Amino acid sequence: MAKKSKSRTIAVRLISMAMTGYYRTMIRPRVHRPLSMLKYDPVVKKKVLFLEATKGGKAK
Amino acid sequence: MSSPSSLVGSLPIRLRNFLARYPPQIYSAAVAPRPTPPETDAPAETTLPSPYTPNRDAKGTHKPDPTVYSPSMALLYNSKEAPNPFLPRKDNRTGKWIPPRFGLRQQADLVKLAAKYKVEELLPPGRKSNEFKATRLAERGLRIKGTGIGQKVKGHKWERTMESRLEERRKAMTEMPEMIRLWRQRGHGRGWKQWPKR
Repeated sequence: MAKKSKSRTIAVRLISMAMTGYYRTMIRPRVHRPLSMLKYDPVVKKKVLFLEATKGGKAK
Repeated sequence: MSSPSSLVGSLPIRLRNFLARYPPQIYSAAVAPRPTPPETDAPAETTLPSPYTPNRDAKGTHKPDPTVYSPSMALLYNSKEAPNPFLPRKDNRTGKWIPPRFGLRQQADLVKLAAKYKVEELLPPGRKSNEFKATRLAERGLRIKGTGIGQKVKGHKWERTMESRLEERRKAMTEMPEMIRLWRQRGHGRGWKQWPKR
């Protein structure tokens, strides 16, 4: 039987660097570099840096 | 205070009927014998055991001993000749309990009404009287955990960890402009090395 193919995109979690526990879930292509962006964090009510949470904390 | 007759006339009919049926000379709390605490050799325990050091042997023995003298319970005077209409009594012949003539709701109504007209001491002693409640409160103390001296409550985890979490958040927010500057400098994440762990 053919191996089950992996999907082209993956859902990733972008964690607020304000350490509030707030996060956003986004979809990116599997081969893309990790996402990072400035977004609004409603807990601290400011635009803060959101970084993608990776397994083991390492970038691809 | 005005004369007794005019005082009685000013009372509401419900209280007047009650006092006519249960004359204060016989039934009221004012004529009931004052309770005297029993003579004990051992002084009363001044410090209660902390509720936060559970004694496993004492599990399930939280019920207070009904035979122990209690100042509030001693107030509830009942005599055989003139049964207190606010208290249940035991029929010695049948061994059954006879309920009070007035239920707790009616008692509370009467006490509130009497207190309003400042004639509460004319009512028989009962569980709803302000004296009983004050004595019981003094006896039991404020039964809220953690309010005593040297007591503290465990609390929820979010309460216990709140301080450290807020400190971490505050620290992260002070470092945020520098972090964003660095992030912009490194090509908006292209050269970023420290990704958070999932």
